Amino acid sequence: MKVWLKVICILLLVYTAIAGMVHPLIPGGLDVRTETLHPGLNSFTFIGYNTSFLEQRSELQLFVAVDSTFFCATITEVTDNTHASATVELPDTLPSVSFAFYANTPHDGTVYVGKAVSHRGFATDPVARPAGCNVNVVSDEHAAFGFPFQIILFETIRNIMWHVPMWFTMFVLMLFSMALSIKTLRAMGQETTDVHQYKKVLSADRRARIYASSGMLFCLLGLVTGSIWARFTWGAWWTMDPQLNGAMVVFLVYAAYFILRSSIEDEEKRARLAAIFNIFAAVLMVILLMIMPRFAEGLHPGKSGNPAFSQYDLDSSLRTVFYPAVLGWILLGYWLYSIHYRIAQLEETDEHDA
Amino acid sequence: MFSLLKKEIQLEWRQKHALAGVLLYVLATVFVCYLALQSIEAPDVWNALLWITALFTAFNALQRTFHQETGGTLYYLYTLASPRQIMLAKMIYYGLQAALLNGMSFALFLFFFGTGVFSDADMGQFLTGLLLGSTGLGMALTFLAGLVFRSGAGAGLVAVLGFPVVMPLMITMVRFSRFAMDGLSWSENGLNLLILLVLNAAFLILSLVLFPYLWRD
Repeated sequence: MKVWLKVICILLLVYTAIAGMVHPLIPGGLDVRTETLHPGLNSFTFIGYNTSFLEQRSELQLFVAVDSTFFCATITEVTDNTHASATVELPDTLPSVSFAFYANTPHDGTVYVGKAVSHRGFATDPVARPAGCNVNVVSDEHAAFGFPFQIILFETIRNIMWHVPMWFTMFVLMLFSMALSIKTLRAMGQETTDVHQYKKVLSADRRARIYASSGMLFCLLGLVTGSIWARFTWGAWWTMDPQLNGAMVVFLVYAAYFILRSSIEDEEKRARLAAIFNIFAAVLMVILLMIMPRFAEGLHPGKSGNPAFSQYDLDSSLRTVFYPAVLGWILLGYWLYSIHYRIAQLEETDEHDA
Repeated sequence: MFSLLKKEIQLEWRQKHALAGVLLYVLATVFVCYLALQSIEAPDVWNALLWITALFTAFNALQRTFHQETGGTLYYLYTLASPRQIMLAKMIYYGLQAALLNGMSFALFLFFFGTGVFSDADMGQFLTGLLLGSTGLGMALTFLAGLVFRSGAGAGLVAVLGFPVVMPLMITMVRFSRFAMDGLSWSENGLNLLILLVLNAAFLILSLVLFPYLWRD
Protein backbone atom coordinates (compact mmCIF):
# COMPACT_ATOMS: atom_id res chain seq x y z
CA MET A 1 0.00 0.00 0.00
CA LYS A 2 1.28 3.41 -1.00
CA VAL A 3 2.43 5.72 1.77
CA TRP A 4 0.19 8.58 0.70
CA LEU A 5 -2.82 6.25 0.92
CA LYS A 6 -1.83 5.37 4.47
CA VAL A 7 -1.53 9.04 5.33
CA ILE A 8 -4.97 9.78 3.89
CA CYS A 9 -6.39 6.82 5.77
CA ILE A 10 -4.98 7.98 9.11
CA LEU A 11 -6.05 11.60 8.52
CA LEU A 12 -9.59 10.54 7.62
CA LEU A 13 -9.93 8.29 10.64
CA VAL A 14 -8.51 10.88 13.04
CA TYR A 15 -10.82 13.49 11.54
CA THR A 16 -13.89 11.30 11.91
CA ALA A 17 -12.97 10.26 15.43
CA ILE A 18 -12.62 13.88 16.52
CA ALA A 19 -15.41 15.45 14.46
CA GLY A 20 -17.75 12.60 15.32
CA MET A 21 -17.30 13.32 18.99
CA VAL A 22 -17.03 17.11 19.22
CA HIS A 23 -19.99 18.27 17.15
CA PRO A 24 -22.81 18.98 19.57
CA LEU A 25 -26.32 17.81 18.89
CA ILE A 26 -28.61 20.58 17.74
CA PRO A 27 -31.04 21.79 20.40
CA GLY A 28 -34.15 19.73 20.92
CA GLY A 29 -37.07 19.26 23.26
CA LEU A 30 -36.49 16.41 25.68
CA ASP A 31 -39.52 16.25 27.96
CA VAL A 32 -42.38 18.15 29.54
CA ARG A 33 -43.41 17.80 33.15
CA THR A 34 -46.99 18.64 33.90
CA GLU A 35 -49.99 17.64 35.96
CA THR A 36 -53.20 16.52 34.28
CA LEU A 37 -54.21 19.29 31.87
CA HIS A 38 -57.59 20.89 32.48
CA PRO A 39 -59.49 24.00 31.33
CA GLY A 40 -58.15 27.11 32.96
CA LEU A 41 -54.67 27.80 34.29
CA ASN A 42 -52.09 24.98 33.93
CA SER A 43 -48.43 24.98 34.83
CA PHE A 44 -45.69 22.95 33.18
CA THR A 45 -41.93 22.65 32.98
CA PHE A 46 -40.26 22.40 29.61
CA ILE A 47 -37.00 20.43 29.52
CA GLY A 48 -34.77 21.09 26.58
CA TYR A 49 -31.60 19.44 25.37
CA ASN A 50 -28.55 21.53 24.47
CA THR A 51 -30.77 24.60 24.69
CA SER A 52 -29.69 27.92 26.20
CA PHE A 53 -32.80 29.23 27.95
CA LEU A 54 -30.90 31.20 30.54
CA GLU A 55 -28.81 33.16 28.06
CA GLN A 56 -31.84 34.01 25.97
CA ARG A 57 -34.23 34.57 28.83
CA SER A 58 -35.64 37.77 27.35
CA GLU A 59 -36.45 36.29 23.97
CA LEU A 60 -37.67 32.87 25.11
CA GLN A 61 -41.26 32.01 24.25
CA LEU A 62 -43.09 28.93 25.47
CA PHE A 63 -46.42 27.83 24.05
CA VAL A 64 -48.77 24.90 23.79
CA ALA A 65 -50.13 23.79 20.42
CA VAL A 66 -53.46 22.05 19.95
CA ASP A 67 -53.83 21.18 16.28
CA SER A 68 -52.86 24.44 14.62
CA THR A 69 -53.91 26.70 17.45
CA PHE A 70 -51.20 28.04 19.74
CA PHE A 71 -51.66 29.13 23.33
CA CYS A 72 -48.90 31.33 24.66
CA ALA A 73 -47.56 30.54 28.08
CA THR A 74 -46.32 32.98 30.68
CA ILE A 75 -42.85 32.07 31.82
CA THR A 76 -42.61 31.93 35.57
CA GLU A 77 -39.12 30.65 36.12
CA VAL A 78 -36.05 29.67 34.16
CA THR A 79 -33.92 27.49 36.42
CA ASP A 80 -31.11 26.79 34.00
CA ASN A 81 -30.38 26.46 30.31
CA THR A 82 -32.54 23.39 29.92
CA HIS A 83 -35.41 23.94 32.38
CA ALA A 84 -38.13 26.54 32.04
CA SER A 85 -41.43 26.62 33.92
CA ALA A 86 -44.51 28.42 32.69
CA THR A 87 -48.26 28.71 33.08
CA VAL A 88 -50.80 28.59 30.29
CA GLU A 89 -54.49 29.37 30.12
CA LEU A 90 -56.53 26.80 28.19
CA PRO A 91 -60.20 27.19 27.10
CA ASP A 92 -63.06 24.74 27.71
CA THR A 93 -63.51 23.73 24.10
CA LEU A 94 -60.63 22.57 21.89
CA PRO A 95 -60.47 21.27 18.29
CA SER A 96 -58.73 18.09 19.56
CA VAL A 97 -56.83 16.91 22.59
CA SER A 98 -53.41 16.26 21.07
CA PHE A 99 -51.06 18.61 22.88
CA ALA A 100 -47.56 19.58 21.80
CA PHE A 101 -45.23 21.84 23.77
CA TYR A 102 -42.96 24.34 22.03
CA ALA A 103 -40.08 26.51 23.05
CA ASN A 104 -39.06 29.27 20.71
CA THR A 105 -35.78 31.21 20.73
CA PRO A 106 -34.34 33.18 17.86
CA HIS A 107 -30.95 31.53 18.34
CA ASP A 108 -31.89 27.85 18.65
CA GLY A 109 -35.01 27.94 16.50
CA THR A 110 -38.18 26.23 17.60
CA VAL A 111 -37.93 23.02 19.56
CA TYR A 112 -40.88 20.93 20.62
CA VAL A 113 -42.00 17.92 22.61
CA GLY A 114 -44.92 15.92 21.25
CA LYS A 115 -46.02 13.90 24.21
CA ALA A 116 -49.14 12.10 25.31
CA VAL A 117 -50.23 14.02 28.41
CA SER A 118 -53.24 13.14 30.51
CA HIS A 119 -56.08 15.64 30.34
CA ARG A 120 -59.57 16.01 31.74
CA GLY A 121 -62.60 18.23 31.32
CA PHE A 122 -62.14 19.47 27.76
CA ALA A 123 -65.00 19.46 25.27
CA THR A 124 -63.71 18.70 21.77
CA ASP A 125 -65.24 20.15 18.68
CA PRO A 126 -63.35 19.87 15.37
CA VAL A 127 -64.64 23.24 14.19
CA ALA A 128 -63.88 25.04 17.43
CA ARG A 129 -61.49 27.92 16.86
CA PRO A 130 -60.54 29.16 20.29
CA ALA A 131 -58.64 32.39 20.40
CA GLY A 132 -54.96 31.53 20.45
CA CYS A 133 -51.91 33.71 20.15
CA ASN A 134 -49.62 34.38 17.23
CA VAL A 135 -46.12 32.99 17.42
CA ASN A 136 -43.32 32.96 14.99
CA VAL A 137 -42.42 29.30 14.48
CA VAL A 138 -38.87 28.95 13.18
CA SER A 139 -38.78 25.23 12.68
CA ASP A 140 -35.72 23.34 11.43
CA GLU A 141 -33.46 26.34 11.14
CA HIS A 142 -30.40 26.29 13.26
CA ALA A 143 -27.71 28.84 13.51
CA ALA A 144 -25.45 26.27 15.17
CA PHE A 145 -23.83 23.45 13.21
CA GLY A 146 -24.52 20.11 14.84
CA PHE A 147 -25.80 16.58 14.54
CA PRO A 148 -29.55 15.98 14.31
CA PHE A 149 -31.41 15.64 17.55
CA GLN A 150 -33.38 12.40 17.46
CA ILE A 151 -35.55 11.09 20.25
CA ILE A 152 -34.36 7.54 21.18
CA LEU A 153 -30.98 8.04 19.52
CA PHE A 154 -29.79 11.18 21.33
CA GLU A 155 -25.99 11.19 21.64
CA THR A 156 -25.66 7.64 20.30
CA ILE A 157 -26.23 9.07 16.83
CA ARG A 158 -22.44 9.43 16.77
CA ASN A 159 -22.17 5.65 16.47
CA ILE A 160 -23.23 6.03 12.84
CA MET A 161 -19.57 6.99 12.20
CA TRP A 162 -18.38 3.64 13.56
CA HIS A 163 -21.08 1.07 13.00
CA VAL A 164 -22.10 1.76 9.41
CA PRO A 165 -18.59 2.05 7.86
CA MET A 166 -17.79 -1.43 9.20
CA TRP A 167 -20.45 -2.91 6.94
CA PHE A 168 -19.34 -0.84 3.96
CA THR A 169 -15.79 -2.06 4.49
CA MET A 170 -16.86 -5.67 4.90
CA PHE A 171 -18.91 -5.44 1.74
CA VAL A 172 -16.03 -4.05 -0.30
CA LEU A 173 -13.54 -6.60 1.05
CA MET A 174 -15.90 -9.52 0.39
CA LEU A 175 -16.55 -8.33 -3.16
CA PHE A 176 -12.78 -8.11 -3.77
CA SER A 177 -12.51 -11.60 -2.37
CA MET A 178 -15.17 -12.83 -4.77
CA ALA A 179 -13.46 -11.14 -7.72
CA LEU A 180 -10.24 -12.97 -6.85
CA SER A 181 -12.12 -16.25 -6.54
CA ILE A 182 -13.47 -15.74 -10.04
CA LYS A 183 -9.92 -15.05 -11.15
CA THR A 184 -8.79 -18.28 -9.50
CA LEU A 185 -11.36 -20.30 -11.41
CA ARG A 186 -10.57 -18.57 -14.69
CA ALA A 187 -6.85 -19.17 -14.28
CA MET A 188 -7.64 -22.83 -13.69
CA GLY A 189 -9.82 -23.02 -16.77
CA GLN A 190 -6.78 -22.69 -18.98
CA GLU A 191 -5.41 -26.18 -19.46
CA THR A 192 -1.69 -25.91 -18.89
CA THR A 193 1.04 -27.55 -16.93
CA ASP A 194 2.94 -24.31 -16.67
CA VAL A 195 4.34 -23.71 -13.19
CA HIS A 196 3.65 -19.99 -13.45
CA GLN A 197 0.02 -20.65 -14.12
CA TYR A 198 -0.14 -22.87 -11.05
CA LYS A 199 1.48 -20.15 -8.96
CA LYS A 200 -0.96 -17.59 -10.30
CA VAL A 201 -3.87 -19.74 -9.19
CA LEU A 202 -2.49 -20.19 -5.70
CA SER A 203 -1.65 -16.51 -5.37
CA ALA A 204 -5.17 -15.44 -6.38
CA ASP A 205 -6.59 -17.96 -3.96
CA ARG A 206 -4.42 -16.69 -1.14
CA ARG A 207 -5.47 -13.12 -1.78
CA ALA A 208 -9.13 -14.17 -1.84
CA ARG A 209 -8.62 -15.87 1.51
CA ILE A 210 -6.96 -12.85 3.09
CA TYR A 211 -9.63 -10.47 1.81
CA ALA A 212 -12.28 -12.74 3.27
CA SER A 213 -10.55 -12.97 6.63
CA SER A 214 -10.13 -9.18 6.82
CA GLY A 215 -13.79 -8.88 5.89
CA MET A 216 -14.69 -11.25 8.71
CA LEU A 217 -12.99 -8.95 11.20
CA PHE A 218 -15.10 -6.01 10.02
CA CYS A 219 -18.21 -8.16 10.10
CA LEU A 220 -17.46 -8.96 13.73
CA LEU A 221 -16.81 -5.29 14.54
CA GLY A 222 -20.06 -4.35 12.81
CA LEU A 223 -21.97 -6.89 14.87
CA VAL A 224 -20.38 -5.70 18.12
CA THR A 225 -20.87 -1.97 17.51
CA GLY A 226 -24.42 -2.67 16.33
CA SER A 227 -25.19 -4.80 19.35
CA ILE A 228 -24.04 -2.10 21.76
CA TRP A 229 -26.07 0.48 19.86
CA ALA A 230 -29.14 -1.76 19.88
CA ARG A 231 -28.84 -2.14 23.65
CA PHE A 232 -29.05 1.60 24.16
CA THR A 233 -31.72 2.43 21.61
CA TRP A 234 -33.91 -0.64 21.13
CA GLY A 235 -33.35 -2.01 24.62
CA ALA A 236 -31.79 -5.40 23.86
CA TRP A 237 -28.41 -6.72 22.75
CA TRP A 238 -30.07 -8.63 19.96
CA THR A 239 -33.40 -7.85 18.33
CA MET A 240 -35.51 -9.62 15.74
CA ASP A 241 -34.47 -7.50 12.80
CA PRO A 242 -33.81 -8.82 9.28
CA GLN A 243 -30.59 -6.82 8.98
CA LEU A 244 -29.23 -8.30 12.19
CA ASN A 245 -30.19 -11.84 11.36
CA GLY A 246 -28.83 -11.42 7.85
CA ALA A 247 -25.51 -10.16 9.20
CA MET A 248 -25.30 -13.14 11.53
CA VAL A 249 -25.96 -15.56 8.66
CA VAL A 250 -23.29 -13.84 6.56
CA PHE A 251 -20.85 -14.32 9.43
CA LEU A 252 -21.75 -18.02 9.65
CA VAL A 253 -21.47 -18.53 5.88
CA TYR A 254 -17.95 -17.09 5.85
CA ALA A 255 -17.05 -19.13 8.91
CA ALA A 256 -18.13 -22.17 6.86
CA TYR A 257 -15.82 -20.96 4.08
CA PHE A 258 -12.84 -21.17 6.42
CA ILE A 259 -13.91 -24.56 7.74
CA LEU A 260 -14.11 -25.82 4.17
CA ARG A 261 -10.61 -24.50 3.50
CA SER A 262 -9.14 -26.14 6.54
CA SER A 263 -10.64 -29.52 5.73
CA ILE A 264 -8.94 -29.90 2.35
CA GLU A 265 -5.29 -30.91 2.24
CA ASP A 266 -4.43 -30.58 -1.43
CA GLU A 267 -3.53 -26.97 -2.33
CA GLU A 268 -4.90 -26.94 -5.84
CA LYS A 269 -8.14 -28.64 -4.89
CA ARG A 270 -8.55 -26.30 -1.93
CA ALA A 271 -8.11 -23.27 -4.17
CA ARG A 272 -10.76 -24.54 -6.58
CA LEU A 273 -13.43 -25.64 -4.10
CA ALA A 274 -12.93 -22.65 -1.80
CA ALA A 275 -13.29 -20.30 -4.77
CA ILE A 276 -16.57 -21.97 -5.74
CA PHE A 277 -17.94 -21.69 -2.23
CA ASN A 278 -16.73 -18.11 -1.92
CA ILE A 279 -18.72 -17.02 -4.97
CA PHE A 280 -21.74 -18.75 -3.50
CA ALA A 281 -21.18 -16.93 -0.21
CA ALA A 282 -20.83 -13.50 -1.83
CA VAL A 283 -24.10 -13.88 -3.73
CA LEU A 284 -25.83 -14.93 -0.52
CA MET A 285 -24.34 -11.89 1.23
CA VAL A 286 -25.84 -9.54 -1.35
CA ILE A 287 -29.23 -11.23 -1.06
CA LEU A 288 -29.13 -11.24 2.74
CA LEU A 289 -27.93 -7.71 3.36
CA MET A 290 -29.21 -5.81 0.33
CA ILE A 291 -32.41 -7.52 -0.81
CA MET A 292 -34.07 -9.29 2.09
CA PRO A 293 -34.09 -6.42 4.65
CA ARG A 294 -35.89 -4.21 2.16
CA PHE A 295 -38.86 -6.55 2.09
CA ALA A 296 -39.27 -7.33 5.76
CA GLU A 297 -40.38 -5.18 8.65
CA GLY A 298 -37.42 -4.17 10.76
CA LEU A 299 -36.00 -1.48 13.00
CA HIS A 300 -33.09 -0.21 10.93
CA PRO A 301 -33.30 3.26 9.43
CA GLY A 302 -33.70 3.49 5.68
CA LYS A 303 -35.45 0.15 5.52
CA SER A 304 -39.13 -0.77 5.51
CA GLY A 305 -40.28 2.83 5.60
CA ASN A 306 -38.04 3.98 8.46
CA PRO A 307 -36.37 7.27 7.67
CA ALA A 308 -32.76 7.18 6.56
CA PHE A 309 -30.54 10.03 7.60
CA SER A 310 -31.22 11.94 4.41
CA GLN A 311 -34.59 12.83 5.92
CA TYR A 312 -33.31 14.42 9.09
CA ASP A 313 -29.73 15.39 8.37
CA LEU A 314 -30.83 18.82 7.29
CA ASP A 315 -27.60 20.75 7.33
CA SER A 316 -25.57 17.71 6.13
CA SER A 317 -23.56 17.73 9.34
CA LEU A 318 -23.72 13.95 9.50
CA ARG A 319 -22.62 13.58 5.92
CA THR A 320 -19.52 15.72 6.36
CA VAL A 321 -18.26 13.17 8.86
CA PHE A 322 -19.93 10.02 7.58
CA TYR A 323 -18.51 9.89 4.05
CA PRO A 324 -14.91 10.49 5.17
CA ALA A 325 -15.46 7.79 7.80
CA VAL A 326 -16.57 5.26 5.19
CA LEU A 327 -13.60 6.05 2.97
CA GLY A 328 -11.18 5.94 5.89
CA TRP A 329 -12.39 2.58 7.11
CA ILE A 330 -12.30 1.06 3.63
CA LEU A 331 -8.72 2.23 3.29
CA LEU A 332 -7.94 0.74 6.70
CA GLY A 333 -9.48 -2.55 5.56
CA TYR A 334 -7.25 -2.54 2.50
CA TRP A 335 -4.25 -1.67 4.65
CA LEU A 336 -5.00 -4.58 6.94
CA TYR A 337 -5.28 -6.85 3.93
CA SER A 338 -1.93 -5.74 2.51
CA ILE A 339 -0.17 -6.40 5.81
CA HIS A 340 -1.73 -9.86 6.03
CA TYR A 341 -0.75 -10.50 2.46
CA ARG A 342 2.88 -9.57 3.10
CA ILE A 343 2.98 -11.86 6.13
CA ALA A 344 1.57 -14.73 4.04
CA GLN A 345 4.16 -14.08 1.35
CA LEU A 346 7.01 -14.06 3.85
CA GLU A 347 5.78 -17.28 5.42
CA GLU A 348 5.75 -18.91 2.01
CA THR A 349 9.30 -17.91 1.10
CA ASP A 350 10.30 -19.05 4.57
CA GLU A 351 8.88 -22.49 3.84
CA HIS A 352 10.72 -22.69 0.54
CA ASP A 353 14.01 -21.74 2.09
CA ALA A 354 13.74 -24.23 4.91
CA MET B 1 -31.01 -35.47 -20.02
CA PHE B 2 -33.95 -37.76 -19.48
CA SER B 3 -31.73 -40.79 -19.36
CA LEU B 4 -29.70 -39.06 -16.67
CA LEU B 5 -32.86 -38.41 -14.72
CA LYS B 6 -33.89 -42.01 -15.26
CA LYS B 7 -30.50 -43.17 -14.04
CA GLU B 8 -30.97 -41.26 -10.78
CA ILE B 9 -34.38 -42.77 -10.24
CA GLN B 10 -33.13 -46.27 -11.01
CA LEU B 11 -30.15 -45.86 -8.72
CA GLU B 12 -32.40 -44.70 -5.93
CA TRP B 13 -34.74 -47.61 -6.53
CA ARG B 14 -31.83 -50.01 -6.30
CA GLN B 15 -30.96 -48.43 -2.99
CA LYS B 16 -34.45 -48.62 -1.56
CA HIS B 17 -33.06 -49.22 1.89
CA ALA B 18 -31.54 -45.75 1.99
CA LEU B 19 -34.79 -44.04 1.01
CA ALA B 20 -36.68 -46.28 3.43
CA GLY B 21 -34.26 -45.13 6.10
CA VAL B 22 -35.16 -41.48 5.44
CA LEU B 23 -38.87 -42.27 5.45
CA LEU B 24 -38.48 -44.01 8.77
CA TYR B 25 -36.58 -40.98 10.02
CA VAL B 26 -39.46 -38.69 9.05
CA LEU B 27 -42.04 -40.94 10.65
CA ALA B 28 -40.02 -41.29 13.84
CA THR B 29 -39.43 -37.53 14.12
CA VAL B 30 -43.08 -36.63 13.69
CA PHE B 31 -44.09 -39.38 16.09
CA VAL B 32 -41.67 -38.12 18.73
CA CYS B 33 -43.13 -34.64 18.30
CA TYR B 34 -46.57 -36.15 18.81
CA LEU B 35 -45.52 -38.06 21.92
CA ALA B 36 -43.97 -34.95 23.39
CA LEU B 37 -46.77 -32.51 22.62
CA GLN B 38 -49.93 -34.50 21.81
CA SER B 39 -51.64 -31.47 20.44
CA ILE B 40 -50.42 -28.15 19.10
CA GLU B 41 -52.61 -25.12 19.48
CA ALA B 42 -50.13 -22.43 18.46
CA PRO B 43 -49.48 -22.07 14.72
CA ASP B 44 -45.97 -20.84 15.54
CA VAL B 45 -45.01 -24.12 17.13
CA TRP B 46 -46.62 -26.10 14.32
CA ASN B 47 -44.71 -24.13 11.75
CA ALA B 48 -41.40 -24.36 13.59
CA LEU B 49 -41.63 -28.12 14.08
CA LEU B 50 -42.57 -28.72 10.46
CA TRP B 51 -39.62 -26.75 9.14
CA ILE B 52 -37.16 -28.24 11.58
CA THR B 53 -38.30 -31.68 10.45
CA ALA B 54 -38.05 -30.60 6.81
CA LEU B 55 -34.54 -29.19 7.31
CA PHE B 56 -33.13 -32.26 8.97
CA THR B 57 -34.88 -34.62 6.58
CA ALA B 58 -33.34 -32.79 3.67
CA PHE B 59 -29.87 -33.00 5.22
CA ASN B 60 -30.35 -36.69 5.88
CA ALA B 61 -31.58 -37.50 2.41
CA LEU B 62 -29.27 -35.30 0.40
CA GLN B 63 -25.83 -35.73 1.83
CA ARG B 64 -25.39 -38.93 -0.14
CA THR B 65 -26.29 -37.24 -3.42
CA PHE B 66 -22.95 -37.90 -5.06
CA HIS B 67 -21.78 -40.93 -3.24
CA GLN B 68 -22.85 -43.41 -5.90
CA GLU B 69 -20.56 -41.62 -8.35
CA THR B 70 -17.40 -43.47 -7.33
CA GLY B 71 -14.46 -44.61 -9.38
CA GLY B 72 -15.37 -45.60 -12.90
CA THR B 73 -18.91 -44.24 -12.95
CA LEU B 74 -17.57 -40.72 -12.66
CA TYR B 75 -15.39 -40.96 -15.74
CA TYR B 76 -18.03 -42.86 -17.64
CA LEU B 77 -20.59 -40.11 -16.96
CA TYR B 78 -18.02 -37.52 -17.89
CA THR B 79 -17.68 -38.97 -21.38
CA LEU B 80 -21.44 -39.22 -21.85
CA ALA B 81 -22.80 -35.86 -20.80
CA SER B 82 -21.76 -32.32 -20.02
CA PRO B 83 -21.37 -31.48 -16.33
CA ARG B 84 -24.25 -29.01 -16.54
CA GLN B 85 -26.61 -31.72 -17.71
CA ILE B 86 -25.51 -33.99 -14.91
CA MET B 87 -26.00 -31.23 -12.35
CA LEU B 88 -29.38 -30.25 -13.74
CA ALA B 89 -30.59 -33.85 -13.67
CA LYS B 90 -29.43 -34.28 -10.12
CA MET B 91 -30.98 -31.02 -8.97
CA ILE B 92 -34.33 -31.80 -10.56
CA TYR B 93 -34.34 -35.25 -9.05
CA TYR B 94 -33.30 -34.24 -5.57
CA GLY B 95 -35.46 -31.12 -5.58
CA LEU B 96 -38.46 -33.31 -6.30
CA GLN B 97 -37.36 -35.84 -3.75
CA ALA B 98 -37.10 -33.16 -1.08
CA ALA B 99 -40.54 -31.86 -2.03
CA LEU B 100 -41.95 -35.37 -1.78
CA LEU B 101 -40.36 -36.02 1.60
CA ASN B 102 -41.49 -32.68 2.99
CA GLY B 103 -44.96 -33.27 1.61
CA MET B 104 -44.90 -36.51 3.51
CA SER B 105 -43.83 -34.94 6.78
CA PHE B 106 -46.59 -32.36 6.24
CA ALA B 107 -49.14 -35.15 5.74
CA LEU B 108 -47.87 -36.93 8.84
CA PHE B 109 -48.16 -33.74 10.87
CA LEU B 110 -51.75 -33.37 9.69
CA PHE B 111 -52.39 -37.02 10.55
CA PHE B 112 -51.05 -36.77 14.09
CA PHE B 113 -51.97 -33.26 15.06
CA GLY B 114 -55.14 -32.66 13.05
CA THR B 115 -55.95 -29.64 10.93
CA GLY B 116 -56.89 -27.31 13.80
CA VAL B 117 -54.22 -24.70 13.16
CA PHE B 118 -55.20 -24.48 9.49
CA SER B 119 -58.72 -23.21 10.06
CA ASP B 120 -57.90 -19.75 8.60
CA ALA B 121 -55.08 -20.87 6.35
CA ASP B 122 -54.67 -20.37 2.64
CA MET B 123 -53.74 -23.94 1.75
CA GLY B 124 -52.66 -23.20 -1.82
CA GLN B 125 -50.22 -20.64 -0.50
CA PHE B 126 -48.91 -22.93 2.19
CA LEU B 127 -48.29 -25.76 -0.27
CA THR B 128 -46.56 -23.38 -2.69
CA GLY B 129 -44.26 -22.37 0.14
CA LEU B 130 -43.61 -26.00 0.97
CA LEU B 131 -42.79 -26.78 -2.65
CA LEU B 132 -40.50 -23.78 -3.20
CA GLY B 133 -38.79 -24.30 0.13
CA SER B 134 -38.16 -27.95 -0.66
CA THR B 135 -36.80 -27.30 -4.14
CA GLY B 136 -34.52 -24.59 -2.77
CA LEU B 137 -33.27 -26.90 -0.02
CA GLY B 138 -32.85 -29.71 -2.53
CA MET B 139 -30.86 -27.64 -5.01
CA ALA B 140 -28.59 -25.96 -2.47
CA LEU B 141 -27.81 -29.18 -0.68
CA THR B 142 -27.24 -31.16 -3.88
CA PHE B 143 -24.65 -28.61 -4.93
CA LEU B 144 -22.97 -28.54 -1.54
CA ALA B 145 -22.97 -32.34 -1.37
CA GLY B 146 -21.16 -32.33 -4.73
CA LEU B 147 -18.66 -29.81 -3.37
CA VAL B 148 -17.99 -31.83 -0.25
CA PHE B 149 -17.82 -35.07 -2.24
CA ARG B 150 -15.11 -33.59 -4.43
CA SER B 151 -13.23 -32.27 -1.43
CA GLY B 152 -12.80 -35.81 -0.16
CA ALA B 153 -13.86 -34.77 3.33
CA GLY B 154 -16.54 -36.71 5.18
CA ALA B 155 -20.24 -36.18 4.58
CA GLY B 156 -20.43 -34.41 7.94
CA LEU B 157 -19.04 -31.32 6.23
CA VAL B 158 -22.29 -31.00 4.25
CA ALA B 159 -24.09 -30.09 7.46
CA VAL B 160 -21.39 -27.60 8.47
CA LEU B 161 -21.52 -25.79 5.12
CA GLY B 162 -25.21 -26.33 4.54
CA PHE B 163 -26.76 -24.85 7.67
CA PRO B 164 -25.56 -21.28 7.13
CA VAL B 165 -26.23 -21.44 3.40
CA VAL B 166 -29.87 -22.53 3.71
CA MET B 167 -30.55 -20.12 6.58
CA PRO B 168 -31.87 -17.28 4.35
CA LEU B 169 -34.17 -19.83 2.74
CA MET B 170 -35.36 -21.01 6.15
CA ILE B 171 -35.97 -17.46 7.41
CA THR B 172 -38.12 -16.66 4.39
CA MET B 173 -39.92 -20.00 4.28
CA VAL B 174 -40.86 -19.86 7.93
CA ARG B 175 -42.26 -16.36 7.50
CA PHE B 176 -44.03 -17.19 4.25
CA SER B 177 -45.77 -20.27 5.60
CA ARG B 178 -46.58 -18.50 8.87
CA PHE B 179 -48.36 -15.77 6.91
CA ALA B 180 -50.11 -18.43 4.83
CA MET B 181 -51.34 -20.05 8.03
CA ASP B 182 -52.87 -16.74 9.06
CA GLY B 183 -54.66 -16.67 5.73
CA LEU B 184 -53.01 -13.51 4.39
CA SER B 185 -53.72 -12.74 0.77
CA TRP B 186 -51.22 -13.40 -2.01
CA SER B 187 -50.51 -9.73 -2.44
CA GLU B 188 -49.67 -9.31 1.25
CA ASN B 189 -47.40 -12.33 1.15
CA GLY B 190 -46.01 -11.54 -2.29
CA LEU B 191 -42.65 -10.14 -1.17
CA ASN B 192 -41.80 -13.29 0.73
CA LEU B 193 -42.77 -15.32 -2.32
CA LEU B 194 -40.51 -13.10 -4.40
CA ILE B 195 -37.56 -13.72 -2.08
CA LEU B 196 -38.24 -17.46 -2.21
CA LEU B 197 -38.18 -17.32 -5.99
CA VAL B 198 -35.02 -15.19 -6.01
CA LEU B 199 -33.26 -17.66 -3.71
CA ASN B 200 -34.37 -20.62 -5.81
CA ALA B 201 -33.16 -18.90 -8.97
CA ALA B 202 -29.86 -17.96 -7.30
CA PHE B 203 -29.20 -21.52 -6.19
CA LEU B 204 -30.11 -22.87 -9.62
CA ILE B 205 -28.01 -20.42 -11.61
CA LEU B 206 -25.00 -20.52 -9.31
CA SER B 207 -24.99 -24.30 -9.29
CA LEU B 208 -25.17 -24.50 -13.05
CA VAL B 209 -22.48 -21.88 -13.56
CA LEU B 210 -20.07 -23.24 -10.97
CA PHE B 211 -20.58 -26.97 -11.33
CA PRO B 212 -18.31 -27.45 -14.37
CA TYR B 213 -15.41 -26.10 -12.28
CA LEU B 214 -16.31 -28.52 -9.55
CA TRP B 215 -16.51 -31.46 -11.86
CA ARG B 216 -13.17 -31.33 -13.63
CA ASP B 217 -10.07 -32.58 -12.00
